Amino acid sequence: MADRRRINGPVGATTPPIFDKPAGPAAAKTRDAIRKIFLKTGITPSASGSAYLELENPNPQRPGNTSLKLSCTVHGPRSLPRSAPFSPHIILTTHVKYAPFATRQRRGYLRDSSERDLGVHLETALRGAIIADRWPKSGVDIISQKDDEGWDMMNVLSGCITVASAAIADAGIDCVDTVAGGVAALVCKDDKTAPTIVMDPVVAEHDSILAACCVAYLPTRDEITNMWFKGRLPGADMMVYDKLMEKSLVACRCANRVIVQELNETVKKGQGIS
Amino acid sequence: MSSTSQHLLLSPAELAYLHGSLSLITPGPIRPDGRSPTQFRPLTAETGILPGTNGSARICFADGTEAVVGVKAEVEKTPVPPYEFVASTEGRKGHSSAPKKSSRKSKKTTTEDEEISMDVDEDDEEAAGVNEKARVSPDWVELSVEIPGLRDDDSGTVFLTSMLTEALLADGEFVKKLWINRRFHWKLYLDIILISPPLSYPLPLLSLTTHLALLATRLPRLKSEADEDPMFDDDWAAATFLYPRQDTTSAKASNKSPKQPSAAAAAAPASRPPITLLVMAVGDNIIFDPSKEELAVADSAVAVSVAEGPSSETEPESESIPATSTKRNLHLLSVRTIDPPSRLTPPGVPNSVNAAAWGTMTAATPTTTTAATAPANESGAAKHPDARVTETEDVVGVWKAPRGGAKFGMLGAMVAKVLERGGVAEEVLDGLEGVDLT
Repeated sequence: MADRRRINGPVGATTPPIFDKPAGPAAAKTRDAIRKIFLKTGITPSASGSAYLELENPNPQRPGNTSLKLSCTVHGPRSLPRSAPFSPHIILTTHVKYAPFATRQRRGYLRDSSERDLGVHLETALRGAIIADRWPKSGVDIISQKDDEGWDMMNVLSGCITVASAAIADAGIDCVDTVAGGVAALVCKDDKTAPTIVMDPVVAEHDSILAACCVAYLPTRDEITNMWFKGRLPGADMMVYDKLMEKSLVACRCANRVIVQELNETVKKGQGIS
Repeated sequence: MSSTSQHLLLSPAELAYLHGSLSLITPGPIRPDGRSPTQFRPLTAETGILPGTNGSARICFADGTEAVVGVKAEVEKTPVPPYEFVASTEGRKGHSSAPKKSSRKSKKTTTEDEEISMDVDEDDEEAAGVNEKARVSPDWVELSVEIPGLRDDDSGTVFLTSMLTEALLADGEFVKKLWINRRFHWKLYLDIILISPPLSYPLPLLSLTTHLALLATRLPRLKSEADEDPMFDDDWAAATFLYPRQDTTSAKASNKSPKQPSAAAAAAPASRPPITLLVMAVGDNIIFDPSKEELAVADSAVAVSVAEGPSSETEPESESIPATSTKRNLHLLSVRTIDPPSRLTPPGVPNSVNAAAWGTMTAATPTTTTAATAPANESGAAKHPDARVTETEDVVGVWKAPRGGAKFGMLGAMVAKVLERGGVAEEVLDGLEGVDLT
């Protein structure tokens, strides 16, 4: 009779699991492109437009180093409440929200000043792209949520711009172009080597970031709707600044290609069904 | 932004006129108040108005906007990160047999501990110096902006706050000034209050007032040494300026007591706090310090923060020539585009499509008789051929809120115009140098 009171070990011999060694950290190669972007529109059924964006994680082995995940929902265009004063344009409201678990230190439900600041940047970037006077007396709410942690403000902002642009297109709001965000930074390894400009910088990969620049760009119109530069440039000349801007524009173009491709796929899918 | 400059009552026709006169190329832009494109509004400034602060300033623009800034400093303990604590005790084991961990961690230190830690410190001062200086934190500065009529968590106010904070912290040089020793630092509270209602976008005013208040900020002279609990000189007259100034008139550079600058150029600080300037573009023209009406027709607006670093010349040279003629060493700290309120202005309707002006009739004048018999299911675009034109293109004299953004070259030109030698930033810094710092 089998012993049923205890949990016995297996009868036969077992082999302990052998875990494959993870590949060593990839050599810090200078990327000439931005990280891979996963973008998908139409993930939130209740919103009129939505999109989800995830960035490739360059070194997945490191603990606590997860990729950037952003989701964005667009509610509207919808009529303003009766009490609101007349507006000749669509009223754009943007919110950038960190999920409570999105940062190393848990964030509360209330938005803090950095989230509000990012919201203003996002609003500036999108307001230039949306053709606002086609919807008088209406409003639209754009809510970007950051779902995972470990990234600095500029990368989050550029991701927010890209994902919000895709969500707006998904909602069918008229835009002059799909706006895309891109970041470039002036980084240096140590004091001896000359600083270099990298596209789409991964903060963990670089020892010190001297200056960074985040740009929202309309590729077909060749116009910049939002620009945010901060840091300190060596010397007062404009050369480094201009190069930094150019690099971030290249990053924007790369991100825009992802948006266009995803939107094309969505359109094709819609045609296939109907 | 939108909320700080609302309630602008200009009709589309007025906006179109203003935009037209500001985008003139041949005589240059004609501004409503007759200023040149790079000219600032006249302002009155004074410092040291609040006796309870470490430094304060007030600036009043000619249009009636007025801001007060008070700077308060407090001594605060620097938290020691745990890994650093482990590293420092490991490093000390070679020097002293007993682990002297308490010297840095706890506030109560015996004199014996202090002595040992002192001489150990001197040994690894060279190595640790870099790390210690690097351990400054942007949290040491707290900035608050108050604008009447707006909540302090309004996004416009938050944007202003973060823009001013960013300019202060961008190069990391400012927080280094707040370092007392390894265990203590100054915590600086900057309270920026706009007294008047926001008649124009208040950014340049707030930035210039903050600049002056920081220039006038004095911290008590430190009497204690090294990592002791800080002790300060009671004598306020001996307090040192946060931005130390080199005296160019007298050669007593080593004298630490601050001087009352008799002439404007007498005491020029080696480096100066940042200033943030508002620049806007209309057409191909770049206009500085726009008023509210001008901002309402801006194609794009940019806030540029610059700071003056220590001048590149050596000491004796700068002593021989007066401070006003030394060339300034300007650094770009931050650039932000600002959502111009022009995007929220109501568009005008051209006569050709305006039914009230018989515009729809004039479009159909060649076939007035057939217009009545035109099929009713004709689409709107076909009925009003001009409607499509007004939707996509600009009609002269009819205001339309700008769409899209700014060209790359235009943004670059705006920043370059701020930074250029003899440019506006230098002019503003020169002007502010004339303010008597008490």
